[in-house]
Parts: sequence; C-alpha cells; structure tokens
Amino acid sequence: MSGFDQLKQTFFEECSEALQQIESGLTDLREGHGSDDTINAVFRSVHSVKGGAGIFGFEDLIGFAHVFETVLDAMRGGKLGATPDIVDVLLPANDVLTDLIGMTRAGEPIPPGHGSESRAALERLLGQDAGGVGSDGEGPAAADFEGLDFMPIRADAFDDPLAQDASDGRQTYAIVFRPNADMLRRANEPLYLLRELRKLGDLDLTAETDQLPALAEIEPDRAYLGWTGKLKTTAQRAQIEEIFEFVAGECELSIAPAETYPLPEAVVAPASAAPIPDVTVSITATAPLAEHEAPSLVPRLAPENPEPAAAARPTAVKPAATTMRVEVEKIDRVVNMVGELVISQAMLGQIVHNLPEDVSSRLAQVLDEVILHTRELKDSVMSMRAQAIGAVFQRMPRLVRELAAKTGKKVHLEMHGETTEVDRSIIERLGDPLTHIIRNSIDHGIEAPGQRAAAGKPEEGTIRLSAEHRGGRIVVEVRDDGGGIDPERVLRKARERGLVSADANLSEDEINNLIFLPGFSTAETVSDISGRGVGMDVVRRNIQDVGGRISLKSERGRGMTLTLALPLTLAVMDGMVIKVGGETYVLPMSAIVECLRPARADIHNLMGGRGMLRLRGNLVPLVHLGDILDLGLAADESDERVVIITDAGDGARFGMIVDELCGHQQVVVKSMEESYGAVPGVAGATILGNGRVALILDVEKLSDLAISQTAAFGAGRLGVEAVAATVMS
Amino acid sequence: MPIAAGLKVLVVDDQNSVRQMTRMTLEQIGVRHIHEAENGVRAMDTASVQPLDLIISDYNMPEMDGLGLLRAVRGHPSARRIPFILVTGRGDRELVVKAAQAGANNYVVKPFTADILRSKIEQVVGKLS
Repeated sequence: MSGFDQLKQTFFEECSEALQQIESGLTDLREGHGSDDTINAVFRSVHSVKGGAGIFGFEDLIGFAHVFETVLDAMRGGKLGATPDIVDVLLPANDVLTDLIGMTRAGEPIPPGHGSESRAALERLLGQDAGGVGSDGEGPAAADFEGLDFMPIRADAFDDPLAQDASDGRQTYAIVFRPNADMLRRANEPLYLLRELRKLGDLDLTAETDQLPALAEIEPDRAYLGWTGKLKTTAQRAQIEEIFEFVAGECELSIAPAETYPLPEAVVAPASAAPIPDVTVSITATAPLAEHEAPSLVPRLAPENPEPAAAARPTAVKPAATTMRVEVEKIDRVVNMVGELVISQAMLGQIVHNLPEDVSSRLAQVLDEVILHTRELKDSVMSMRAQAIGAVFQRMPRLVRELAAKTGKKVHLEMHGETTEVDRSIIERLGDPLTHIIRNSIDHGIEAPGQRAAAGKPEEGTIRLSAEHRGGRIVVEVRDDGGGIDPERVLRKARERGLVSADANLSEDEINNLIFLPGFSTAETVSDISGRGVGMDVVRRNIQDVGGRISLKSERGRGMTLTLALPLTLAVMDGMVIKVGGETYVLPMSAIVECLRPARADIHNLMGGRGMLRLRGNLVPLVHLGDILDLGLAADESDERVVIITDAGDGARFGMIVDELCGHQQVVVKSMEESYGAVPGVAGATILGNGRVALILDVEKLSDLAISQTAAFGAGRLGVEAVAATVMS
Repeated sequence: MPIAAGLKVLVVDDQNSVRQMTRMTLEQIGVRHIHEAENGVRAMDTASVQPLDLIISDYNMPEMDGLGLLRAVRGHPSARRIPFILVTGRGDRELVVKAAQAGANNYVVKPFTADILRSKIEQVVGKLS
C-alpha cells in the first residue's frame, strides 16, 4: 500500500468515527438533550469529512458535505433552530453521507442524483434554490479569497502583537490559591470558590498536583491541590478578595495585578465539567506557567511543607485524552501471540509437573508468576480491543423513534451502562440481534396507546436497554413493559406448526421459550417491521455464535425481558478438560452448571439405554458423551462415572456422562471452520499443555444431537422435559 | 535566506489523515523538522517547550480551535513570536478576517498543493532555499 493509499485508509477510519459522532449528536438533539456543544461537535465532524474529502479529491463527498455543513453552520449561528423538524432532515442526510463515504471507500461510482432528495431538503432549510449553496463548495479550490484584503505578515517584521490588546477596561490578576490541608474538614469547598471566581471574568487556572500522593495514600478529606493562574476581569481587587473572605485563614492566597495578555478562550473549561485530569498531563501543564509567573507571586512552598492543596477537581486545564490510533490487525496479532504464550505456558506447566519434586518446586514458583503475568497480559490486550457497548446502543434511539412513528405507538427508550466495555468482535455482531429484539418489542410487545390506557398503564411504553459486567460476562438486557407473551397463542401456533406434540404438557416458561424455535413466528400478519424469516431463532443463533446465551422472562400483561449473556472475548475461554474413551475434549465452563459423581441409586434407566438422574428432587436427562460423539464405546456400568450437568443456554439442563475430569484451563480457541467446515457439536479446537490438539465441544449442538439420536426423547428439547415430567409423576 | 530543511514546523490538525498529508506536502518542499499536534491544547504544550519557526494550524478542532490556539500563542511569553499560518476551508472568508485580527501571519485554503503552501510559507519567513 502506498503512503497515499494508507492516508486514504486513515481518512476513511476518521470518517467512520465522524459519522458515529454525527449520529449520536443528532440523536441527542432530536431528543432535546442537545446543546450548543452538540451542534458544534456535529458541525466539526461534518466539516472534517468535507476537509479530508477535499484533500483527497472526492468531489461528490465534498459537494454533499458542504450543504450539510452549511445547514449546521446556520444552526450554530442561531439562524436555524435545532427543532425536531430540522433534525429529521439531518438524520437522513447523515445516511446519505454514510452511503457516499461507503461508496467512495469501496471505489464504487456514485450514481448520479444519489441523495439528491436529502440534498434538496437541506437546501430548502437554507431557503435557497437548488444549486445555490453548492456552487461555492464545489467550485475549484482557490488558494486565496479574491478581493480579501489580507497582507501576509513577514515574521521578521513582527511587532509585539500584544500591544494591540491595549485595553478593554479589563485588568488581569495573577492568582495563587493554595488551600491548607484541613480546609475541606472545615466544610469549605474550593470548587465553589473557583466557580465564583470564574463568574468575574476570563479565568485561566492551572492545578498544582505536585503534592498529590499516590492513590492509595490519599486521604479523602485532606486538600492536596493548589491553583495558580490569571483572571481577566473588570472587577475590582476587593471583589475578588471577597470571594475568599471565608477561607482567609485557611489558605495561601495572593491576588496581584499581572502583565496583560489575551487569554486563550478555549482553555477556560467550566469548572464543573472538567474531568479529573491525568496527573502527568497536569504537571506538564504547570511547567509553562511557571515561566511567566509575575514576580509579585508568592514563591512556591518548600516541599517539606506539604500543606497546600485542595479538593476535588482542578478547574482550568481540560486535559486532552492521551490516545493513540492502532490498527486492529496489530492488536489482533498481539492477541494471537498471547494465545500462543498461553499454550506454551501450559506446556511448560506440564513439564514442570512431571519433574522430580526437588527440582520442580522452585520452578513451579516461577511458573506461577509467569501464569499470573500471562493472565494480566491477556487481560490488558483484551481491554485494548474492548469498545464501549454504546457504539451499538446509540443506533437504537433512532430505530425506536422510527418504529414508534410507523406503528403509531408511543415508546420511550431508556439506556443504561453504555460505557460497559466489550470485545470488538462481539460488538460487531451484536447490532443485528439487538435491533431485531427491539423491533420485536415495539411490534409485538408494546401495545397501542389506547390499549395501554385501557389496561391502566401509561400511554407511553418503555423499553429499557442496559449492559453490565456480571460474573465474568457481559449481560445485556432488553426489557419492555408491553403485553408480554401470550402463552396460549404461542402454544397454539407451535402445535399448528408441529413444533410440539399435541399432548405435551409444558410449563409457561417452556412455552415462552418456544419462540426461539426455528420456524416460529406469532405475528398473525407480517408487518414490514419485524418482517418474516428472521425470527427469534436467528437472534438466538447470532448470540450463540459469539458464545453467548439468551434467556427470556415474560409476565403476561406486564412485559418481557430478554437477557443476553455474552463472553468478554472470543479468543481465549475458560474450559473444562475432560476425557471420554481415551479422547480429550474441552467443554466451555460457561455451559457447565455442576459436576458430580452420582450414586447408582439416583440413576434411573429408561428405554433406549438412556437414563434420568435424580438430582435434589428433580429429574435430569442423562446422555453418554461417548454415544453422542459416536465413539463406539461399550456402555460403562461402573460407579466411577462422572456426570457434568450442563445448561445449553435456554434453561434446559441435561447431564453428560464422561470418564474423567482433567481440570480447568484457559484455552485458546482456534477455529476449525476454515479447514473442515462446521462440524456439528464441535465449536473449535485448542492445543493443550501436552501439545496435543483437543476439540472444544458445543454444548448446545450436543444436546440437539442427543435429541435427534433418540426418538424416545420426543419432539424437541422440550420433549425431553416432558419425559422427565412423566417419570416424575 | 532560510533553508527549508532547517525550518522547525508544527502541524496542528485533529484529523490524522490531514496532518499526514500536510507533512507529506512539507516534505516535498524540503522541510525536515516536523512536529504534530492534534488540537490547540497539545499544540500549546509543544509550542511552549519546543523552539519552532512556524505553526501551521487547522481551524476546526475540538478542545481548542485554531483561533484559540493563535490567541494562546500570541499570549504566551516565549511562544508569541512564532509565525502562524491558519488553514481554512473553502468559503470561510470571515474566519480569515478574524485570523488577521488575532495576529495570524498568513492563511492557506484547504486543499493546497506543495507550490501553494511553499509560497504561503515564503510570504511569511522569506524565500526558501
């Protein structure tokens, strides 16, 4: 790839970020939580797209972005309001921009007139006839503005430009404010004082963080920070001093007239909004200030007096986030190497284990450390690949709005936990299932306003979308307060379609879970929202493909909750190494509920050689793993067998009989699909510590296999439960 | 007569692609010492510790925009004499006027060729050799 092509690539990556920002900004504006900053950020993003497109000569992109930008500029300038009507024109414009960028990136020709409708709508907003705006943006780039009276200034002819800041009647004061260590304990909050100070004029403060100890040593009620900087104000000195009146004896304070210079506007961030800065950043920010401290300033405190400083948040300097752009492939390479490292380390462990004890003990100690570090290394690499789930969530408000408008329902979307971090590979595959679930909720779940009112519910339905870390997994929940599932209708449908036998006796939960079966769709009429074909079975398949589980809770008339439990990453997983008939396999820990060695009396044999296990009063179907995998083993009648109770993901449990448990291990998942295609029951392969390859089993598909192998187990997994119910009675 | 290879230039733009493009253009002119910053705040950090002969800054940036940077530079005791060229988009005449008032030495309209940038720089620092 040439340098230029690489730059283009970088530009398109920046475009993707810009598009996301535009979308989320517009969404905020649409929902009325936008501010001037939001409009500015959206404007900046569109402007960046236009600027980059100009450099690379993407004329179609420039033309459209220019009109888009002009509208946003009018909003910035207050000539257009950020009303829903206007935002409704901007959202489709962003779609067109997305298309144009996509086509440009793919090198496809842009069909003539593409997006002309959206463009015309934008131009109507500006009250200009078509083409009126574009001419400026699409004209050839001019190196200079004609007729503009700008005289380039030679650097050597450079007079002191500060002279021009002669006077606007404002005086600049150098301010030093260092609270004593116990100021907070006397219920004084420096932040409030700084806010007051800011009201007087342009305030430019730098926090002194040099007294700040390590995090572990921080006493929450002790003041550590101090501030120095300038205030440009028309206020009198007495007015400034008045602010500090109540803390006069509790801080080091100096207010003195300083040499004047214009303040950089953007540096003054609102005190309340300034995040706690990275300590390094603040320290570098302090350095330049020291150079121009006015001589009248009180000298800095000697280090042996650790008293200056104060509370919560430094005010003035908003630190730039220290980030760095790295190609995903590079990180993936590191992830792969970490995977290999995990394998080598497991091999090493094996060797150490086999050594005579006197040699191995010291080695084992070191190995423990290596294991610890590998794990940390793995976690940090994974966190690099992690992205906030908000990237997926932010598409949803718009979806909800559009669907609500289409169906004539009132729906409010609540989102929680957008900052929860998930591996990128999972984020990429989460969008479709989530979209589908939300479509379903609005289409089938939330009732029409009239119906809701009649049921005594608020007319506006609520969908709550949330994400959180729970027990080593990411749990995403979609909850609605709609009508929930109507079990009778579902059961009727399932019988009509032959998904369950007519006499199957199913619990309500089991009936609800029928919606996950392939070929099930309750919508009596196919709407253009939920559509036909993509049913909940596909949603479940999508979630399972990333190693997740989906479960459902429905309360009739009250709504339903779909819970997606997703793994943190796809590359490395926690596995249980087991042996059957001399072969070694790995089962994902996430699918294992418990392992036990049952007493003979608890196992009931049924026809077809299958059995049921009585487990704490419940019956659980039992299968021989060797049978499912067709290993051709003789039935094992010994008492030595181990049963692993697994949960295939839909709450249906079954026991798997294996020969031996070898232990819990982190394994690196290697896909086999490329070489062998999809093998039923096998999720992938891994290399164990002894260098041997072991297959990773797919519990869900194993249970399907087990069912299809035995007619006695009835129709579907639910049939298995039905047999259980019969045995129980 | 300043030598292009001896010029120390700071390029400020929040878009990496544009920054790299400007860098490539500067390299064509013969500039060898090129610093980069992604916004005004970062640029100020560099400008206050690094001897610079020229700042070429975009206008539209988060944190602190080009005009903010220009004002900050002009207000900084050690950096205030650094020549400043503001990069503007097409059709942004008002901005150029503001930049002139705030003490910009010159402006250049995006996209620009190496020849244009060279002449814009020469108008500020003198003919390059």
